[in-house]
Amino acid sequence: MDKTVRKLLLVFIPAALCAQSSFDQGRALFRSNCAFCHGMTATGGRGPNLVSASLSHGDTDASIKRVIRIGVPGTTMPAFSEFTDEEVGQVIQYLRSLSKSAARKETVPGNAPHGKQVYEEKDCSGCHRIAGQGSIFGPELTRIGGARSIEYLRDSIVKPSADVPEGYEGVTVVLKNGQRIRGLRINEDTFSIQLRDPGQQTRMFQKDELMELTHEKDSMMPAYDRLSAADLQDLVAYLATLRGAVDSSAAIKKARGIK
Amino acid sequence: MRFSGLLGWMCAAVLSAQPVTFDRIVNSKAEPQNWLTYWGDYGAQRYRDLKQIDTSNVKNLRVEWIFQTGQSGAFETVPLVVDGIMYFTAANGFAYSVDARSGRQLWQFKYPLPEGVKLCCGTVNRGLAILGDRLFMVTPDAHVLALEARTGRLIWNREMASTDQSYGATLAPVVVKDKVIVGVSGGEFGIRGFVDAYDAKSGERAWRFYTVPAKGEPGGETWLADSWKRGGGATWMTGTYDPKLNLLYWGVGNPGPDLFGEVRKGDNLYTAGLVALDADTGKLKWHFQFTPHDTHDWDGCETPMVLDIKWKGRDRKVLAQANRNAFFYLLDRETGEFLMAKSFARQNWATEIDPKGRPVLSRNAEPSPEGNRVCPGLAGAANWMPPSYNPETGWFYFPVREQCDVFFSAPPVYVEGKAYWGSMFRGQTEEKEWGLLKALDPLTGETKWDFRYYKAPWAGTVATSGGLIFSGDEDGYFMAFDAKTGKNLWKINTGNRLVTAPITYTVGGRQYVTMPSGSALLTFALPN
Repeated sequence: MDKTVRKLLLVFIPAALCAQSSFDQGRALFRSNCAFCHGMTATGGRGPNLVSASLSHGDTDASIKRVIRIGVPGTTMPAFSEFTDEEVGQVIQYLRSLSKSAARKETVPGNAPHGKQVYEEKDCSGCHRIAGQGSIFGPELTRIGGARSIEYLRDSIVKPSADVPEGYEGVTVVLKNGQRIRGLRINEDTFSIQLRDPGQQTRMFQKDELMELTHEKDSMMPAYDRLSAADLQDLVAYLATLRGAVDSSAAIKKARGIK
Repeated sequence: MRFSGLLGWMCAAVLSAQPVTFDRIVNSKAEPQNWLTYWGDYGAQRYRDLKQIDTSNVKNLRVEWIFQTGQSGAFETVPLVVDGIMYFTAANGFAYSVDARSGRQLWQFKYPLPEGVKLCCGTVNRGLAILGDRLFMVTPDAHVLALEARTGRLIWNREMASTDQSYGATLAPVVVKDKVIVGVSGGEFGIRGFVDAYDAKSGERAWRFYTVPAKGEPGGETWLADSWKRGGGATWMTGTYDPKLNLLYWGVGNPGPDLFGEVRKGDNLYTAGLVALDADTGKLKWHFQFTPHDTHDWDGCETPMVLDIKWKGRDRKVLAQANRNAFFYLLDRETGEFLMAKSFARQNWATEIDPKGRPVLSRNAEPSPEGNRVCPGLAGAANWMPPSYNPETGWFYFPVREQCDVFFSAPPVYVEGKAYWGSMFRGQTEEKEWGLLKALDPLTGETKWDFRYYKAPWAGTVATSGGLIFSGDEDGYFMAFDAKTGKNLWKINTGNRLVTAPITYTVGGRQYVTMPSGSALLTFALPN
């Protein structure tokens, strides 16, 4: 009985209402699952701009669907394998509606070769690694141009504390002998903490061995806010060219699901 | 030592001849060596008068045996222990019986889940009930089974409701007199929830109580149009019971669609609430709604603990519940009268709970197209993880989840068999979650002590007369605490998140503590 009535109702829902509902669903799916990295308007943030930048993995429906479904292995883009075809379609439809008016730009202003010089002069490789060269202390930059929006890259240089990616949170511990150790948190639980210090050494502590444990609010990266405007633009342009391959076997931490 | 061991063995041997009767379950506290129901006792106090393991020697606790089920999926069972034999379930329709002293298997049962059946709620299972020589369990496809306790042989199998309509079941049944009482899952899929009672002997259904009243029934006016037909109100956690009042107390889950209230304007009785049912007939005696017209998935399914306390100078029979909505409630369990509510975790959705127990809502706490940040988050400040009560301290011990979510809304379309959320919440936020093990005075709602966990926990507690509280955290630490001070006295990293509550029992005079972790059932004891 219930079943029949419901089926009839579904048949008679006007098509326009369905289209609106589909748009709303796409928007809600995007905002609740994608906006955290790609921004509420999909213009990028921690994740790349999906509206006006060129998409690294192609901009056909099929290629976007593939990225949503299987993620980008080796990056922070997780797989949304639980999305139905319909839901993926709704997200793509919503993205298309956002990018309708925006032309895709292929170029980033600035002198990338000079930006590379700036990178070397400032000894960025003392903390970062590109294609196997440099330190593992800070985030790997091999593919950073494909992973972040231009605005995010610029902010990361001048205001690194604005957004500290998971896995790069700074921690200061004070041992019972008074020794202070700063490092990036690799892992932590109720009773223990594991850090990587700037010398790239792994440091592991039981919390009851510590006098003090402080989770830093600020990034451990210094703010490069005294770069000239031209140097900054060139450095961003250089970083934007970095679209190398990454180790696709690296684990991705998936966002928590509904419980 | 040898003598007491022998004596214990003799006692166990004598007791094993006794079937588990209703009277034994009513008086379960008189046999602290056993764990006869999901809650350990009808009132869900989860307290045992066992003190071989105490605050001075718990530091010596060590693994006695491990039983590996090999089953993937969350291991949420709470074992039963009856006179030296342990019975428990695992995900994917498994049940087991083992020697509670050695962990050696006596039998294994596997429910043959029909191929291709669509499951709303996974294959998790929370345990068994026992009466006489029979065990009772539910299945992922919403059946109730009776098994022979000695062999694991299937005796009867009844369908509660169809998986085509997205019903499922995960809870441990509770037996009252000659009836097996069960509930259903599927609150995210537009079901109409109910509590069912089955005759333990024949398997025939004795009564059914719908948690969502139909149009024309009392409470039916709290649902817009025909929204009651898919109103949710799952009954996915075991109820508690007061034998003197002969009342069952059953938590009711969220209304559907979960996060979009426009299509179901009204209070949406009895969702996100609690019903008191006559155990013989299933008739509603009273109800209380914690979160009228819930839009945050705050089920009322958290443990309704039965307590007898002196409230404002008068002996009162009460129910205590730490609700998912971040308030601790005391209700009179004879009448349902609201006595007190006090928040125990961060919350920004209510400015207060009024003198009748109704929340006064804050602004900007509803799911919206732009998203609103609400504390607690969707999983709640408390959830199904059982609390415990120690009559010596008079305190209530429970895990607290400190976590917020951003809630979005979008009008849903109901399609049978599909999730009916009606919006989303952001599963990723900048904010770090954390957790607490909290000791709370149920007379005032005030915190007596907190122990901070790094992450928001999913494990319950058990209390003993040894002055201990056992519990676990999301990182996999199984721990013992001093019930008076909250001091952590013992811990072990079990290697997997802990998602159920521990039990304690004795065999042959020796005290054991059992906690599932991963696919392993871990049992601890002091060195011999």
